[in-house]
Amino acid sequence: MSLLSLANVRKDYLAGDVTVQALKGINLTVEKGKFISFVGPSGSGKTTLLNLVGCLDKPTEGTVTVAGVEVNRMDRKTSAKFRGDNIGFIFQNFNLIPVLTVYENVEYPLIMVQDIALKSRKQRIDDMLDRVGMADQRNKYPSQLSGGQKQRVAIARALVMDPKLVLADEPTANLDHDTAYKVIGLMHQMKKEFNTSFIFATHDQKIVGEAEIVYTMEDGLITKVQANGTAGGGVK
Amino acid sequence: MKNIIKISWRNLLRYTRRTLLTSSLIAVGVALVIIFGGIGASFKDEVIGTITNSNLGDIQIHKKGYVGSMDNLPLDIVIPEQGLNKIKSLLDANPEVKVYSERIRFGAMISNFVQTTSMRLTAVYPEKESNTCPALTERIKEGNSDPKTFVQPGSIVIPANIAAGMNLKIGDDAVLVATNKDGSVNGVTFKISGISENILGPQGKDGYIHIDDAVSLLRIENGEITEIAVKLNDFDKLKKVYSRLKGELAQIPGENSGKPAFEVHSWEELSPFSSIVKIVTLLIMVVRLVLVSIVLISILNVMMMSVYERIGEIGTIASIGTPPSKILALFLTEGLLLGFFSALAGIIFGTGLLMIVAAAKLNFVFGMMKLSLSPQIPTAEIILSLIIVVVISALASLQPALKASKMEPVEALRHV
Repeated sequence: MSLLSLANVRKDYLAGDVTVQALKGINLTVEKGKFISFVGPSGSGKTTLLNLVGCLDKPTEGTVTVAGVEVNRMDRKTSAKFRGDNIGFIFQNFNLIPVLTVYENVEYPLIMVQDIALKSRKQRIDDMLDRVGMADQRNKYPSQLSGGQKQRVAIARALVMDPKLVLADEPTANLDHDTAYKVIGLMHQMKKEFNTSFIFATHDQKIVGEAEIVYTMEDGLITKVQANGTAGGGVK
Repeated sequence: MKNIIKISWRNLLRYTRRTLLTSSLIAVGVALVIIFGGIGASFKDEVIGTITNSNLGDIQIHKKGYVGSMDNLPLDIVIPEQGLNKIKSLLDANPEVKVYSERIRFGAMISNFVQTTSMRLTAVYPEKESNTCPALTERIKEGNSDPKTFVQPGSIVIPANIAAGMNLKIGDDAVLVATNKDGSVNGVTFKISGISENILGPQGKDGYIHIDDAVSLLRIENGEITEIAVKLNDFDKLKKVYSRLKGELAQIPGENSGKPAFEVHSWEELSPFSSIVKIVTLLIMVVRLVLVSIVLISILNVMMMSVYERIGEIGTIASIGTPPSKILALFLTEGLLLGFFSALAGIIFGTGLLMIVAAAKLNFVFGMMKLSLSPQIPTAEIILSLIIVVVISALASLQPALKASKMEPVEALRHV
């Protein structure tokens, strides 16, 4: 069974009196454990597509199915729970909670979303911080970290929930070249370790080569699909 | 819940200056309520104590219709001996009644053989009167102020203004001339045994004689009196005792009419100074309302700013799956914590200041009443202030918290 499928998905926005067609009929199927990239210029519909897959928005037409569940019919409360159980998010601006330490940021979804008991929680956080190489920074606040370190924490926060799918919108846009490669490498490594699907949107052509499948988007449509044989080359 | 409190607390500390400013404002408001409440209550207690302990008693009982004609001190609206005995048995059976004092009040002319003036007189049994109005003898500034013997048959206590006006001194003779209820006039010579200070109020310039002298002067033959003043064990039970007495006295019908023969009044109904006490109570209410406004506006302002500044963060926590109810709880808790700890700070500050005022024992003269302010810590006021602040904080935080919890994550994330 596919992890994700989109059938005839359209998304229109109202910009003043004008209707903007952000997605113009997307059909897509993604298998479990894949590392997928959507590339394309700004305004091509990448973020809109990720928002629909992440149950943050609803399509104007068509169906979005994630992990066998049609998500476009869910109410706010149900979709919040679904996201908490199935989807991890990594953001361009890291979006860590500034008043919480590294450890507490990773702990946050386990308390507020999944309600995991203390002992099991601690074990999972320690393990995850080890894996992303941030165990020694656990007591620092986000303001005390570099951009790369923040994104590692964000990856740990997304993966600690054991999601089926991680969505990353421009995860390297605020990172320098080397750090961006390291972060993508880490995501790739995590995908292998946890068999979690990663979907990221980017317009950074340099990191696209890390993806197994690259979907190119233009003007609300997928215009090209490319299977990348050299994908998963690890940290460069 | 512990984690929600932790995160909310840290969010408050995130904007330290703003939190401290708001907190200070609320704390000052709470402190003002406590200080004003404590001093106001002390002032009220002093005024009430002065009035009830000096001459009025806590409750008075009269023949029906007496209070309406009280200014004339009528001698034909009296409590007859039989009625008096019934009332006494009611009072004796009431465990809340500490003591009571029978009185005959009347108007008379006093003469020093050269000058004559009018005055009001209260005829009493000295020991019973002293027990009912314990501060009465403290007002006797010259002469015999022994609570058990301050008036003896043949002696009179006169107010200072009459003593000064008629040049009367302790040991001087003065003649009282009074008209009894039948219209006949009688006169008796008394020796001045005490001079009392003046206090405000209709009974403040009364002179005192022994009740046996009044019986003789007014030629009362059948044990009539004009009023009974009652002192309670616990002043706070005034309303309860008043209601009980009113009910019991209503059961004693008049000889001819069949309607209740007697009436009962609390000090509030008898003294014009009860309005001052009501004004103080009203002012305390106004200060409380000001506190409510301060808390409402401050918390609402802070929480609205807090939500507005953290829209992106709300989008983040919502997108990773935080249920709307927990987002609501986060912001509500933030407002509640701000209110609660500000109120605590205000309570500590206000109580401290009140203790300093209490230690200073402020003495001042209000009208002709010498008052000494020694405010107690107003526990009820403190608890009420805390409850007001917490409830208003919750109400003020509710709208911003609801706004945060209802944000669409995708919209909120665009603010990052």
